[in-house]
Amino acid sequence: MTAPDAVGETPREAPGREAPVRPPGYGLVRRGRASFLLHRRSAAVTAALAAALAAAVVASLCLGETATAPTEVVRVLLGLPSPEELVVGTLRLPRVVLGLMVGAALGVAGGLIQTVARNPLASPEIIGVTHGAAALTVGAMTFGLTSYALLPYLSVAGGMLAAALVYVFAWRRGLSAARFVLIGLGFSVALRSLTQLFMTKGDFLAAQQAQVWLTGSLNGRGWEQAGPLGWALLAVLPAVLWCARAQRQAALDDDTATALGVRLGRVRLGLAATGVVLASVATGAAGPVDFVALLSPQIARRLTRTAQIPLLATALLGAFVVTLGDLLARRLLAPVELPVGVLTAAIGAPYLVWLIARGRTGGRP
Amino acid sequence: MTDTTSPGGTTADGGPDRTGAPDAPASRLSARGLTLAYESRTVVDGLDLDVPDGRVTVVVGPNACGKSTLLRALGRLLRPRRGAVLLDGRELDRVPTRAVARSLGLLPQAPVAPEAITVGNLVARGRQPHQRWWQQWSEADERAVTDAMDSTGVTGLADRAVDELSGGQRQRVWIAMALAQETELLLLDEPTTYLDIAHQVEVLDLVRRLNRERGRTVVMVLHDLNQAARYADHLVAMREGRIVAQGPPGRAVTADLVREVFGLEAVVVPDPVTGGPLVVPGAPASASAAAPATVPVNIRKATP
Ligand SMILES: Nc1ncnc2c1ncn2[C@@H]1O[C@H](COP(=O)(O)OP(=O)(O)OP(=O)(O)O)[C@@H](O)[C@H]1O
Ligand SMILES: [Mg+2]
Repeated sequence: MTAPDAVGETPREAPGREAPVRPPGYGLVRRGRASFLLHRRSAAVTAALAAALAAAVVASLCLGETATAPTEVVRVLLGLPSPEELVVGTLRLPRVVLGLMVGAALGVAGGLIQTVARNPLASPEIIGVTHGAAALTVGAMTFGLTSYALLPYLSVAGGMLAAALVYVFAWRRGLSAARFVLIGLGFSVALRSLTQLFMTKGDFLAAQQAQVWLTGSLNGRGWEQAGPLGWALLAVLPAVLWCARAQRQAALDDDTATALGVRLGRVRLGLAATGVVLASVATGAAGPVDFVALLSPQIARRLTRTAQIPLLATALLGAFVVTLGDLLARRLLAPVELPVGVLTAAIGAPYLVWLIARGRTGGRP
Repeated sequence: MTDTTSPGGTTADGGPDRTGAPDAPASRLSARGLTLAYESRTVVDGLDLDVPDGRVTVVVGPNACGKSTLLRALGRLLRPRRGAVLLDGRELDRVPTRAVARSLGLLPQAPVAPEAITVGNLVARGRQPHQRWWQQWSEADERAVTDAMDSTGVTGLADRAVDELSGGQRQRVWIAMALAQETELLLLDEPTTYLDIAHQVEVLDLVRRLNRERGRTVVMVLHDLNQAARYADHLVAMREGRIVAQGPPGRAVTADLVREVFGLEAVVVPDPVTGGPLVVPGAPASASAAAPATVPVNIRKATP
């Protein structure tokens, strides 16, 4: 049955049209042969998230064992002389910067992995990154590694190695999204058992230390982690920019995308590799911070109401959630500190549930 | 299931016409010795086909005979096991995929839209092969999308979510997307599924208009033999992965062909509207029963 409206609902008169026609919801900028589309709602959401993030950062720098006035915080950030230089600039700032980067990286990683897996529940944890990092780190510790400086690098290597194996095993004449998730899940479970085996078999003390290191937390972490992570993220940035466009293409089904000239195999590999690198370096720097990668992309997409995951908004949201989560983790039961992952889940999950329940973009299961 | 024995040959068993005739029209898109398989099962074996330029080619055949498989291979969605698809004389695999997408468009049989995408945005995706990161919405994009949406009658749906449309509306949106691609060659896999009779005719008329007015070459799979006969310039009948017959419908469509391809007894009479062949299923009581005057005429007249 088709509506008779079909005929009636046809054109505004084509010739003499004034405003350029464009995809619904987009603004258009044209300069000569160049033209750019801007999703209006995404722009607004991104601006709002940036403001929220700035507020969370300032709050995080203000609050601690002693409270600092925001004006002093701003002075320190601007490099002006301030009596609070030591507390804000040396003690709090590195941790906040690290949290920002970890959150942004995890959020974007989650978005990319979910796109490749075609599954909103996919995350670095599910495709092997987190457990690969844990297994290699704990394994090395229990078998006598003593250099703590090496741990982050081992963690990064473990994550990438596990994810690469998952990708290879999921490959059969092209990547099947369902296989990717299932094989990732299988690997993750196996690697978790392996980690536990190391813990029970190996040197107990070393294992304990490894475990502490692997609990996602920003406690006691600072420039030594933030520095290398910053460089790593800078190096990955061009790939992320490429992903922003490629991701749109990967949202179509295989046949349609190929018919439109998209090289899906390459696009998927590029997206997955970028996501895995981001997740691995973030996990290497702060340990596994739960739920940021899972929740940020979905919350961001529901806010912007786009067909694909908005990467910039996701990055800002991830950074915001981790910054806020860490602030609460530090202050809620002070002087006891909670792992930041507990808080990020506590903030993100209810909000996502609320968004979905209310949801316009409900989505198929 | 295929039992083809002729490795290079195609048309068989007294097909009324043959490709490669001296006066055959030029062909940008063709298949040579095409063998197509999924895993271990061969679906099409050693098929040759020249798609005549500037014509409407319609592929017919029973379910599972390999029509979609053939179309997918022509649109490089399926890599040939053996043989090749040639676009302008070059193997499809060798042509950059973006370049292919600018001259060859394909609407799959069952496309899936990204979740929550709106109609306007989905149709705009058809412009993908013409866009660059710094050319996201040119005037040509604008024109093509407006045009495609107008001619498929989905302009009024632009802000609706594709998820929320009826099957027929959705089908027209997908056709609009394929049209927005503005390719000279257009492959359509059963574009009339889900459409009511009026919209079927509308879509087929649209296809014909694209062909007649803009010179587009069209290959489409249709299930209705009579629609195929009416809208095809060149009809290709397939069975079990082979081309059984091809040619202008006036010559290709015969009672023998219908029996051979579909295993169905039928009478072929002149179409009261176009004078072309009209297939009426069922065996006549006597050989002379097939007088045109006795055929009930209830087919909507095609708009000129
Ligand atoms: N992805 C696939 N994997 C394995 N076998 C497939 C696949 N797609 C199709 N086939 C098989 O290939 C054969 C031809 O299928 P195809 O889709 O080309 O048929 P068709 O002529 O388009 O049929 P229909 O009229 O039902 O659309 C069938 O036997 C089918 O089961
Ligand atoms: Mg088919």
